[in-house]
Amino acid sequence: MTPFLSARGIVKRFPGVLANDHVDFDVNAGEIHALLGENGAGKSTLMQIVYGLYGRDAGEILIEGRPLDLRSTRDAIAAGIGMIHQEFMLVRRFSATENVVLGLKAGGALKPLDLEGPAREIAELSRRYGLQVDPAARIEHLPVGTQQRVEILKLLYRKAKLLILDEPTAVLTPGEAEALLKVLRTLADQGHAVVIVTHKLHEIMAAADRVTIMRDGRVVGSVKTAESSEAELARLMVGREVALTARRSTRPAGPSVLRVEGLTVMSDQGRSALEGLSLDLREGEILGLAGVDGNGQSELAQALTGLRTASGGRVLLGERDLTRASPAERRSAGVAYVPADRRHVGSVGALSIAENAILGDQRAYARFGLLDRKRGRSFAAGLMERFDIRPRKPDYPAGKLSGGNLQKVQLGRAIASDPRALIVEQPTRGLDVGAIEAVWAELLRLREAGKAILLISAELEEILNLSDRIAVIYEGRIMGELPAAQADLRRIGLMMAGSHGEEDGHADL
Amino acid sequence: MDVDFALTAFLTGWLAATVRLAGPLLLAALGELFAERAGVLNIGIEGVMLLGALVAWWAAWSTGSLWLGMLGGMAAGLTAGGFLGFMYVTAQASQVVVGVIFNIFALGLASYAYRLILGGASGAQTAVMFSVLPIPLLSEIPFLGPILFRHTPLVYLTALVAAGAWFVLRRTSFGLNLRAVGENPRAADTAGLDVTAYRYAGVLISCVAAGAAGAYLVLAQVGQFRETVVSGQGFIALAIVIFGRWDPLRAAIAALIFGAADALQLTLQIFTSGVPPQLLLALPYLVTILAMSGLIGKADQPESLMVPYSRE
Repeated sequence: MTPFLSARGIVKRFPGVLANDHVDFDVNAGEIHALLGENGAGKSTLMQIVYGLYGRDAGEILIEGRPLDLRSTRDAIAAGIGMIHQEFMLVRRFSATENVVLGLKAGGALKPLDLEGPAREIAELSRRYGLQVDPAARIEHLPVGTQQRVEILKLLYRKAKLLILDEPTAVLTPGEAEALLKVLRTLADQGHAVVIVTHKLHEIMAAADRVTIMRDGRVVGSVKTAESSEAELARLMVGREVALTARRSTRPAGPSVLRVEGLTVMSDQGRSALEGLSLDLREGEILGLAGVDGNGQSELAQALTGLRTASGGRVLLGERDLTRASPAERRSAGVAYVPADRRHVGSVGALSIAENAILGDQRAYARFGLLDRKRGRSFAAGLMERFDIRPRKPDYPAGKLSGGNLQKVQLGRAIASDPRALIVEQPTRGLDVGAIEAVWAELLRLREAGKAILLISAELEEILNLSDRIAVIYEGRIMGELPAAQADLRRIGLMMAGSHGEEDGHADL
Repeated sequence: MDVDFALTAFLTGWLAATVRLAGPLLLAALGELFAERAGVLNIGIEGVMLLGALVAWWAAWSTGSLWLGMLGGMAAGLTAGGFLGFMYVTAQASQVVVGVIFNIFALGLASYAYRLILGGASGAQTAVMFSVLPIPLLSEIPFLGPILFRHTPLVYLTALVAAGAWFVLRRTSFGLNLRAVGENPRAADTAGLDVTAYRYAGVLISCVAAGAAGAYLVLAQVGQFRETVVSGQGFIALAIVIFGRWDPLRAAIAALIFGAADALQLTLQIFTSGVPPQLLLALPYLVTILAMSGLIGKADQPESLMVPYSRE
């Protein structure tokens, strides 16, 4: 059988990097094909080339055996290739229909626009593929899972035969993810070719027919999921045996350290981001805050660290009320913060590693207002030794560090201040497996050392592996809290979707 | 009976002046709406109006044709729009800085050119002005007739432009695409739309409309060029866009309210009252500052307003 799409010998060079090194990749009509690899393995580059966003230095693309002259996304779309990016390409204030027809040539520019015909066609497509969407609904009023369905409808409306989805479940609740995979299966059954780009092994095992694994710009294997296992895929992806399960000692948590009482906070858009949220962070425990991105997690971290003003409620460190304290006051009181955005919030790219390492404590490294650079450098050198930060050059610009190394700088800096409470936000987002292991180990070590840690993460696996207690946030409220020992995925998934996780028998999410 | 008559005269005079004065404000605001819907805040319309007024006066005065004057004003707007579009869209300069500096530049240029033209001309300035064109029958309706249907052709045309602007923005694919570009240019780009082209289109439309609004001021209100002929009406148009929540029909209502404030001040001068007219004259500008402060209208503002777009 001729594959719907084949890429043959694709080579793509970026300055200093060989992103794709003679890559071969096939996808058949009627199959779900997963493209697996760590960050920087070259899987996104490959898909961008297939979608016509990047040119290629060598190699060819064939559609049903015939070479495709691929110069732009327009050529890709015309050939039946469609792609859904991680960040949805939707206009929030437009209806689903308006988003679907946007950019399509429909007669003259100034002729009255026909939206009713397309709306009917969209409703018809929705029915055929089990994609429930109200064509007239405005995108901003739709949950993320439904927005994603609009993206899929956009592709189907343009007669896409091949659908490429980049990390499609990253922003979904477990229930929504399950529903999406069901839709993808329907699409494949009706003769479409589906590619999901992902690093989630269990999802691949559950949904994909075949997996192609990439590492360092090369394809290292292409296997049928039925003939493989998670362990084998992980080994192929990383290139060595991995055991990503954190070992935790059981030890009772100490007294309360950081207390949040009825915290109310506004988002940048002036909407309510936190609505009377309460949490209690205890000594020697990791409290995992699970939730789909954008449910108030960032606002909570900012409110705890003084970067956002609370409009109501209290933040207490021990007996001390920090609700109105400045970020500097909170730092010196013992609240440390590792922000999610390491590049723009957690570090200054143009400054050196040493300068970043003392950032915030620079007064301690100054005499008569002049920085003692030597002390700063030796402090950074110690940090780099302890956390294995590479390259081991304190004067190296922080902006040029890899994500994992930069994260270690952030984490090291936070720990060096010997905080009582540590707020960690998405600590392993975008890191490769080796770096994830290191960060996890460090967080567990801190827990042993008696720190109170709030772990904010959208990765359920991370939450389940590290936390002693798990709280679930949804639209700025805590939907429920449970000890890690009693945590089960379905209950957490329900709470992430906004229910209290108590009703049973709701298997069909 | 006398009181009644005086009141009716006052109201008719005031409301008719309202419609007349709202015209150029609305024309400029309708154009600005297209720029902002595409994501560009064109503060430069104040200066463009002035250049439009100058060229319109010069063209009308030297050719004797009022319509050529109008065309001249629009051509001046188009030229200025090319320059501003380049600065806003291609050079991705700060839209506020470019707009403000352009207004100062336009004032200098207009004053200089005006002196140059007058220096070469002999004889006194004659007024170049459209005359009132009452609409048959409708203008005879008591009370409403003189308010709505006894105006220069430019007033009627402006009303048509407002309806047309609404139709184009809301009911055509050009309008849909333009709005998409102002809301989420990346989504528009992936949908295959040329973001740069739509932003240029928005800026050019706003500048042509501003040029026409400047021409309107000369050809239907003053009859001559003066350096103070615009004096902030471009800024008021910016406020009207905000009060109109980026919608042509609501902008028309906002323009009428600003026009009413301006007209009240004129009418009160005739009818003499205790209120100092200068105070009323200052009122629209005060409201404009409030509108521009960002306290109003944030929720309806195009999401990518003032955000330049580039593909990484």
